[in-house]
Amino acid sequence: MPEPVLRLEKLTVAFGGLMAVDSVSFDIAPGEILGLIGPNGAGKTTVFNAVSGYNKPTHGRVSFLGHDVTGRQPYTLAAMGIGRTFQIVKPFSGLSVLENIIVSSYLRHPRQAQAREKASEVLRFIGLADRADVPAAGLTLAGRKRLEIGKALALEPKLLLLDEVVAGLNPTEVDQTVQLILKIRDAGITILIVEHIMRVIMKISTRIIVLNYGRMIAHGKPEEVASNREVIEAYLGESVATADRSTS
Amino acid sequence: MRRLPAWVWILLVIAAVGTVPLLIRDAFFLRLFTEALMWIGLAITWDLMCGYTGYLNFGHGVFFGVGAYTAALLMIKGGWSFAPAAALGGLTAGLVALVIGWPTLRLRGAYFAIGTWAMNRAVLQLALVLDITGGADGLRLPPFLDPPFFAYVMLSVVGGTFLVLWLLLEQAPFGLKLKAIREDESGSLAIGLNPALLKLQAFVLSAVPVGIIGGVYAYWITFIDPLSTLGDLVTDQAVVMAIFGGLGTLIGPVIGAIIFFAFKTYFWAYLSDYQVLYIIILGLAIAATVFFLPDGFWGTVSRRREGRRALRKGLAFEKAKQT
Amino acid sequence: MLVLLPQAIVDGILLGGIYLTVSMGFSLAYGVLHVIDFAVGDWIMLGAFAGLTFTQWFHLDPLLSLPVIFVIFAAIGWMLQPSLQHVLSGSRGRPVLMALVFTFGLALAFRGSALTVFGIFTHSLNTVLSQGSWHFSRGSFFLTIPVIRLAGLVYALAVMVGLTYLLKKTDFGLAIRAVAQNKEAAGLMGVNIKKTNAAVYGLYVGISAMTGVFIGAIVSLNAGMGPDLALFAFFVVVLAGMGYLAGVPWASFLLGLVQSFFLIYLNPSYVLLALFTILYVILLISPTGLFRRGV
Repeated sequence: MPEPVLRLEKLTVAFGGLMAVDSVSFDIAPGEILGLIGPNGAGKTTVFNAVSGYNKPTHGRVSFLGHDVTGRQPYTLAAMGIGRTFQIVKPFSGLSVLENIIVSSYLRHPRQAQAREKASEVLRFIGLADRADVPAAGLTLAGRKRLEIGKALALEPKLLLLDEVVAGLNPTEVDQTVQLILKIRDAGITILIVEHIMRVIMKISTRIIVLNYGRMIAHGKPEEVASNREVIEAYLGESVATADRSTS
Repeated sequence: MRRLPAWVWILLVIAAVGTVPLLIRDAFFLRLFTEALMWIGLAITWDLMCGYTGYLNFGHGVFFGVGAYTAALLMIKGGWSFAPAAALGGLTAGLVALVIGWPTLRLRGAYFAIGTWAMNRAVLQLALVLDITGGADGLRLPPFLDPPFFAYVMLSVVGGTFLVLWLLLEQAPFGLKLKAIREDESGSLAIGLNPALLKLQAFVLSAVPVGIIGGVYAYWITFIDPLSTLGDLVTDQAVVMAIFGGLGTLIGPVIGAIIFFAFKTYFWAYLSDYQVLYIIILGLAIAATVFFLPDGFWGTVSRRREGRRALRKGLAFEKAKQT
Repeated sequence: MLVLLPQAIVDGILLGGIYLTVSMGFSLAYGVLHVIDFAVGDWIMLGAFAGLTFTQWFHLDPLLSLPVIFVIFAAIGWMLQPSLQHVLSGSRGRPVLMALVFTFGLALAFRGSALTVFGIFTHSLNTVLSQGSWHFSRGSFFLTIPVIRLAGLVYALAVMVGLTYLLKKTDFGLAIRAVAQNKEAAGLMGVNIKKTNAAVYGLYVGISAMTGVFIGAIVSLNAGMGPDLALFAFFVVVLAGMGYLAGVPWASFLLGLVQSFFLIYLNPSYVLLALFTILYVILLISPTGLFRRGV
């Protein structure tokens, strides 16, 4: 594998006695879409938080593009090229859609005029250009999720962390978002994606990592993981239910 | 006709206002004029922390008092002349903001409000207790009666402050960054902002002009004491004016300050028998504005304008898509 | 100076009792309604003046006014709470901070009203217990315990016991605790949130008003006493941990002891300043309180 974009070495995040993430190690190769799945509470969002600076790892190491970034502040990581979305979307509600993206654009384009231009560009890329002046609070859920992605894209990241960006969307919106994610991948951005909707993650991921109770229980190509015994057990009820729903 | 940049308009307005002391030379009117400007300065700087950054500073007046006392002491005990003394008043206020701000800004919203309120009362106690500040009796400055002079000084200070704040908050990235912090401080970290630093900058920026204004006040009124410079009323009135005018904008507090000061003057002039009623009205005004008009006077107006503009744009886009 | 120590301790405990009364209702209100009421000191002040008025009109001992004052003020709080709720659930701005400003405005209005009606002078409430004090002495140690202060402590403990009983042993208390912990779930379980909120706020205002009568009797009352009392309430509650009711007694007595020590061993004019500074420092070091159980 060429120099990995992200490398986790025995990453451990403990809250008191609870091991939210337990000695997880994996690499992400440039240009790939790495899927991170696991039952609720498996530690997926905590991994995100550890990688993006929102939780300090108790043990282990996070390396980004060869640099050790364990425990660094989120804004430092953003500057280095890590962008993320949040599971519960956090738009800047009182600002307009365009302004939301402009603030992110300041990182790479510190001057007002260039930031504005960059933001307009991003809006067109994500398909929200027609709602540029709408207050962010007035967007539908799909719009807000799209905005969330847009804010991260404006940082011109090399690694994009997507946390359940299709949860709660109807099938059409899901497909549109999938198209967007593939467009982002084609633009050269490496993606780490957490998702519960199996058909999405199985379809677009190059490889998949499965977490359960904070530990990594499987990794590999989507087909390999799907037929992995331990994975099926961890998901027992869920995989059956998801399979049914995904045939719609 | 090419549209003039905002800062040119602002300078024009300041210049226009500046002709008033030339035209109206009545001393009493000039006093009102100067005081109105003073309140504009206090209101817009308070809004910087509350409306833009989302941090309620219930001790905003402490910068005013610190500036006033610093300038007064420098002039009385140190023999300094007015301009440097007032400037240092601003600097000291900024220093206080830096020292107090660094730990206090780590507190979340309500705690920050309480913390700043406590700090203000502590400094008030300090002024009452120390000999050097003259205790409860206050300080007397060398008298200098020249109403037009002070009118112009106050106009320069407040006008300059408005211009600087306009450039930083409405034209430059700083304003939007502060608003992002206001909306979601935790989320703003993810997009590369350093809230601790930005908040501190805003805090100091809100303090320095107020310190200078305090220094001007001291020389203008010739007498300062703890209650008038460090008491609750300084902050309380700034709060009403900013909220009534409209938070999160610069024009809002200006309008709020003018309207409220006009009301206060009328009240004082014609109802001076009922002075304590003013406090009731102040309190009710704050509560009522928050209850009925949370965006303030100007805020409601500009929100409606923005809403209509967004609607027009959206409709135009739809139309363009259809053709 | 050691000879003053027992007195300092006793004074501290008695003072702590006062702080306990000031803070109990306030902490409850915060825990349930999540509102920091800047008007807490002024509710107390209004209660004190209500006691004064009661005495002046009926020529009865102020202590007899306690139940009346409780009922009146609880009703006022009950009626006022929906307005506060309206501000808290505002869709614009930052509702929690706007609610703060709202109570800030109310506090100012109360203060102005008291100034208008009662003027700037300081009054004192004379009760049947105000004159007495108990004296103990043994050797060079002596103790003076003013009866009225003891009564204040008894009142504080009674309120504390009453509130604990209410919260732990009654259905209403259960509803309150449920709303405090998870408003939505409580609502889904059939708790009437609006009524519970209004009741809690009424309870808090009623208690605060009664506290005012005691403070008026123990210390004094004037229209401007609100802010300092509010500050003490804030600090007790922050020290205890916001919303953590069990921490309030500890924090109150600690504050009382610290203040009484300062009063005896420090130049009186510096006491308030020293207190503010310490309390401010504590706020910075540990905003979630001594026990780190605050929200």
